[in-house]
Amino acid sequence: MASIIEVKNLSYTYDGDAQIVKDAIHDISFSIEKGEIVGIIGHTGSGKSTLIQHLNGLLKPASGEVLLNGKNIWDDPKNIKDIRFKVGLVFQYPEYQLFEETVFADIAFGPKNMGLTGDELKNRVESICDTVGIKREYFDKSPFDLSGGEKRRVAIAGVMAMKPEVLILDEPIAGLDPKGRHEVSAMVKNYREKFGATVIIVSHNMEDMASLADKLIVLSGGKLVMYDTAYNVFSKGDMLSEIGLSVPVVTKVLKLINEKNNDIRTDIFTLKDAVEYLCALSAGGKNA
Amino acid sequence: MLKDITFGQYYESNSIVHRLDPRTKILVLILDIVFLFLTKSIYSLIVPAVQTVLILIISKVPAKMFLRNIKTILPIIIFTSIINLFYGNSGTVLLTVWYFTITTSGILRAVYMGSRIILLILLSSVLTYTTTPNDITDAIESLLSFMRIFRLQNAVHMLAMMMTIALRFIPTLVEETEKIMNAQKARGADLENGRLIERIKALIPILIPLLISSVRRAYELAEAMECRCYNGGVGRVRMKRLKYSWADLWAAFINIMFCGGIIAINTLI
Amino acid sequence: MDNLIEIKNVSFSFDAEGEKRDIIKNLNLNIERSSFTVILGHNGSGKSTLAKLMNGLYKPTNADGSVLVDGIDTKDETSEIEIRRKVGMVFQNPDNQLVASIVEDDVAFGPENLGLTPEKSRERVDEALKAVGMYEFRKSTPHHLSGGQKQRIAIAGIIAMRPECLILDEPTAMLDPKGRAEVMSIITRFNRENGMTIVLITHFMEEAELADRVVLLSDGEIISDGTPKEIFSDIKTLKSTGLDVPQTTELLYQLKKNGIDIDTDAISVKETAARISAALHLEES
Repeated sequence: MASIIEVKNLSYTYDGDAQIVKDAIHDISFSIEKGEIVGIIGHTGSGKSTLIQHLNGLLKPASGEVLLNGKNIWDDPKNIKDIRFKVGLVFQYPEYQLFEETVFADIAFGPKNMGLTGDELKNRVESICDTVGIKREYFDKSPFDLSGGEKRRVAIAGVMAMKPEVLILDEPIAGLDPKGRHEVSAMVKNYREKFGATVIIVSHNMEDMASLADKLIVLSGGKLVMYDTAYNVFSKGDMLSEIGLSVPVVTKVLKLINEKNNDIRTDIFTLKDAVEYLCALSAGGKNA
Repeated sequence: MLKDITFGQYYESNSIVHRLDPRTKILVLILDIVFLFLTKSIYSLIVPAVQTVLILIISKVPAKMFLRNIKTILPIIIFTSIINLFYGNSGTVLLTVWYFTITTSGILRAVYMGSRIILLILLSSVLTYTTTPNDITDAIESLLSFMRIFRLQNAVHMLAMMMTIALRFIPTLVEETEKIMNAQKARGADLENGRLIERIKALIPILIPLLISSVRRAYELAEAMECRCYNGGVGRVRMKRLKYSWADLWAAFINIMFCGGIIAINTLI
Repeated sequence: MDNLIEIKNVSFSFDAEGEKRDIIKNLNLNIERSSFTVILGHNGSGKSTLAKLMNGLYKPTNADGSVLVDGIDTKDETSEIEIRRKVGMVFQNPDNQLVASIVEDDVAFGPENLGLTPEKSRERVDEALKAVGMYEFRKSTPHHLSGGQKQRIAIAGIIAMRPECLILDEPTAMLDPKGRAEVMSIITRFNRENGMTIVLITHFMEEAELADRVVLLSDGEIISDGTPKEIFSDIKTLKSTGLDVPQTTELLYQLKKNGIDIDTDAISVKETAARISAALHLEES
């Protein structure tokens, strides 16, 4: 398989005041295959936001390079805008970037910057909204009259409307209630299925990561400490807690039971698997 | 960077100048500037020049910090000097180009004007390098407290409160602006290229979210202030009180002596 | 019983584009002195409005509704300051609560407004900063601190007024897990050690575990009220109100749905593990 994104020896430090703790990154290398869902985990200040801003060319590497489909994105600095259409970045609390008078116009902002006009623009916005479940009756509403969860979805649709091959989301469900979380997760899933996009998600929520991500990038102090399948990363619980991260909560429960009963498996990371395993255990005794 | 405006140009050190009461520093600065403008010629400028250099030395702020400030307004200094170069109407004519003549008195005048601006900048820099914006705000509030006799204490309090809140929120808003700019750039907004009209139009996606968030912040801050028993400053007693010390008296006295020196030279020459 | 806050028949509504919207509907609630109450509700359940009614920031919009704080009616304009001092309030966004650009100046804001002498203010500022573990940062500027640290400063700013009750409106919603844990441990300590009355408003069920009492709010009405165990055992109701159910409780609930005889009233990892061990008879080996 061909890597869609490849990061080679990437380093970046912010200049200025030393007393402000900034999340610099040091010598990071990894590659992401087309169509994968990759999670980035790390505590605040570990370099997560610095890293993702390099992937769409908002920041220019101090050293090292970022390749998109095998080409250095900074080969032609004049075309960096095109990179941003190919690698869509949804920031934390994206609803704070809404500015247009109508939902339609706001979602159309990105495609318009790509040069789409008239029917082409209209079709683009409509097709994205159909994919992610934003109803036509919302089109003429002011984005500022929507509820928090709806605003978030409109803002995310605004990035998806550029049809990026790689979609990066920074804490996309932070601050939402269960309904809002469910809707945002569903829209990301639908987008990915329809366009075969690669998805990168930054999150603090290990439970979501366990059920969503194929692979995890673990950052600590600006360095890449692990890059592996979610299964392998969460199997190294001790290493995670050393850098201030944790395993999913169901794993913690199983580990605690395991302390008294060594037969209990501790390599289960999602709620669904845990329920299945414990039900089987209950039905078939400890040998299940 | 704009982000660090809360510290302004403050340079941390523990010199005598740093420890002076900020009110003393502001009053002395005003006094020194007034007398700087009362100098009649380059000769009487020698006194404030010596005075300024002495202040700079005891402030313990590195010379390159002051040079940086002068560098930023160098164009203004050069412009003023050149204009004044042609204003000399006495002394030996050195050069005549077309309508303009340069005389020895013109040169003296150019040097005098240029040096005066340099001294002005240096003196003001001492204040900003040795005093935090917070202290300056407190000092202004305290110095203006005489307005009470005009029943304007409310206006003074509001002014001080506004300055305090501005200092607190400028870095937050700068950070927010950066965030919004990045978010719109990620949607392909072009903020660097295009003609003036296009560039102004490109600001709309940044200004509107910023305005909305500022209004929201203002509203929330007002509620939070109410919850902390704020009611427009009535009966409010500040925890930190500015206090004059002997050093302030000495600083004022020495500066007054220098100003006297300027008057003396003005009358002698 | 000694009630610090009494809410009687309170309604709160406002006109939105000519349409009357009821946020709080004829609500009755008493908050006992030195208790730790959590008010759980989804976004838009009216929980923030309820919080603001408790310290007089909002007043009941119905004539016969009243909120009494230590016996004083919040509709009494002359007691406004006294009520605000007694019932301190911390909000969601730490950035929008801090007034001054130096930590200790900010914490002093409340005491200064109360007209305390500079010496007294200084004493309270130092005490409050030590109580939230931010004393060493007293000369810093809030802008250089983390979200959790800023929220601790905001709490210190309220504590410095020595309130009897602390109302916190989603204080952890914008914080990372570390900041969230710091803030929660401070709140719990204030209640346990100093007997401070705490009203915590949140949509995180995990945070309700430490409370004496949980009040479940939905669409402006109280739909259940009891100890954390009582409330959490009824997961159906919790879910129907659109609340966040933690994965521990969800796990127990799913097991029960699959026919396993198990109690679903646990939230902590430890208790969840104990429930599962007991239900699956895993202890004996």
